[in-house]
Amino acid sequence: MQNPYIPYPVVVNKIITEVDTKDIKTFRFKFVNPEDEGKYSYIPGQFGELSIYGKGESPIGIASSPTQKGYVEFTVQKAGVVTSALHEMEEGTVMGLRGPLGNSWPLEFLAGKNIVIVGGGFAFTTLRSLINYMIYGDNRKRFGKITIIYGARNPGLLLYKDELTEWGKRDDLNLNVTVDKGDATWKGKEGFVPAVCKEVAPSKENAVAVICGPPVMIRFTLPVFFDLGFSKENIITSLEMRMKCGIGKCGRCNVGSKYVCKDGPVFSLAELDKLTPEY
Amino acid sequence: MEKRLIKKDALAGIAKKMADDFLVWTPVKKEDNILFEPLQKGAEPFFAYLNSKNAPKNVFFPHTESMMKYTRTEKGMVFSADENKADESVLFGVRPCDAHSFVLLDKLFDQEKHKDGYYIAKRQKTTVISLACVKPPYASCFCTSVDGEPVSSDGADILLSDIGSGYLAEFITPKGEKLTKYFGDDKADAAADTKKSEVAAKAKAAITSKIPAHEVKPILDKNFDNPFWNTIHGKCLACGTCTYLCPTCHCFDISDEVKGSDGVRIRSWDSCMFPMFTKETSGHNPRPSQKERWRQRTMHKFKYYVDNFNSIACVGCGRCVMYCPVNIDIRKIVEDISKL
Repeated sequence: MQNPYIPYPVVVNKIITEVDTKDIKTFRFKFVNPEDEGKYSYIPGQFGELSIYGKGESPIGIASSPTQKGYVEFTVQKAGVVTSALHEMEEGTVMGLRGPLGNSWPLEFLAGKNIVIVGGGFAFTTLRSLINYMIYGDNRKRFGKITIIYGARNPGLLLYKDELTEWGKRDDLNLNVTVDKGDATWKGKEGFVPAVCKEVAPSKENAVAVICGPPVMIRFTLPVFFDLGFSKENIITSLEMRMKCGIGKCGRCNVGSKYVCKDGPVFSLAELDKLTPEY
Repeated sequence: MEKRLIKKDALAGIAKKMADDFLVWTPVKKEDNILFEPLQKGAEPFFAYLNSKNAPKNVFFPHTESMMKYTRTEKGMVFSADENKADESVLFGVRPCDAHSFVLLDKLFDQEKHKDGYYIAKRQKTTVISLACVKPPYASCFCTSVDGEPVSSDGADILLSDIGSGYLAEFITPKGEKLTKYFGDDKADAAADTKKSEVAAKAKAAITSKIPAHEVKPILDKNFDNPFWNTIHGKCLACGTCTYLCPTCHCFDISDEVKGSDGVRIRSWDSCMFPMFTKETSGHNPRPSQKERWRQRTMHKFKYYVDNFNSIACVGCGRCVMYCPVNIDIRKIVEDISKL
């Protein structure tokens, strides 16, 4: 039996500084023991515990897609003890990775439907995993129209810029990237995510909206989708809470009877309505 | 079921004999406290006790335990998991309420998915011997309100009941039966059973503190926002005594300790009463005041655990009632909720 508290040793294979402020980086990990990669079989929307010697652990959503073989990626903002230590790391360092943990984006439920992805700021990471999964090879046929609305405060804070460029070239998805305020070189949309959602006005027909972002974005985006006629069953989001064990034992991330770490982090709005508003 | 009769003064001798063969936890007197500790050579177990100050959950779930060790090398850290190894051991003389708590903790730590090997290894290697409360020890005992009884074998492998002339030893599980040889050859007869039923009924009747624990679940389902939650926490010091002493509280923290190149990842008991318990790096705290923490503690015991495991996470030992420095009484809280 795999001890769920013990991390797999991973090597920091590549570090990509995502934003101008340099406080958000993507870390690509390779497993030290190749057989561990098979054990770390994950689904978009799941998370892992990044485990650093002497510092502790931090739960972070998986940013890569399981279709990307040979490595796992996490996009991490420098914030607390563990993530600050992570940001100091150099390529080649060995650290630990636990998981995959939590439920996932409901791929079976999403199959055959039109998918509207709405992301704001740094919360785009597990959405990126989902997008890369859906557009990979034959997977694309399993989903209907894909509409992406992604916003950041300014162009320098957009994540995954190269991928955004690649996605923009595809004719099988509708990509809308917006910034609150552009700069001299910015040629794209300007405006807040809720306004862009209103403008793009995705149809509710056979559609599911997957929404992740800062609370203020969520608060103003949800009414737009309600106005468009989306039901609470068809709006999906992901929660964050302080976590330690990641497997529903240590007792701190529950919202009502549900543990965000093991019963979540992904919930539909209909499911959230049944829980206590304590998150 | 194997049954034996043993003399009243034989308990300590049996515990000591077992201690020659394995690790035996017994109640021992330490200054003013009775605590469960491994019985040392030459030490005397103390069975003439009411209940231990701390719940004996630490036998399976220590205050602090190592989960893994690591060493920094030139290439980064090398881990070694602390194996889920435990010694053959006996927990001798726990009260039935505390033994009941093990059944409840099993539901959490030994779930089908996500098994907690550290807890399970110790639990599997330990034989639990319960010492029935033929005289309920405290006025604050309320086990009968939360699916317990003062004379109960719930959670025990062997049950010892004082039936006046001596102790009746009942070997409840195959694990318990393996220890029959330590209890002599005096087989119990039907008269001993009758006597035990009598003392059990008398003990049960002597528990006069009762709470409507089973009635509050549907009320809690609907009253997350009730103003009642403003009324509990005002005097709470957030000291965490209630959770520390509670037999069913299982929340823990995971942290790292480093000395030179060597480190250890440990887990330690934590408490939902502490502000930092849920505070996030951003500064946001989903349970920002003692009010939300008390609601969590109450809900966890009488609603959330019932939702998830179909059991109330309280065994009625009364420790939180007796040792709360500001006299917050969970019995009164449950009583008040039942009237909402």
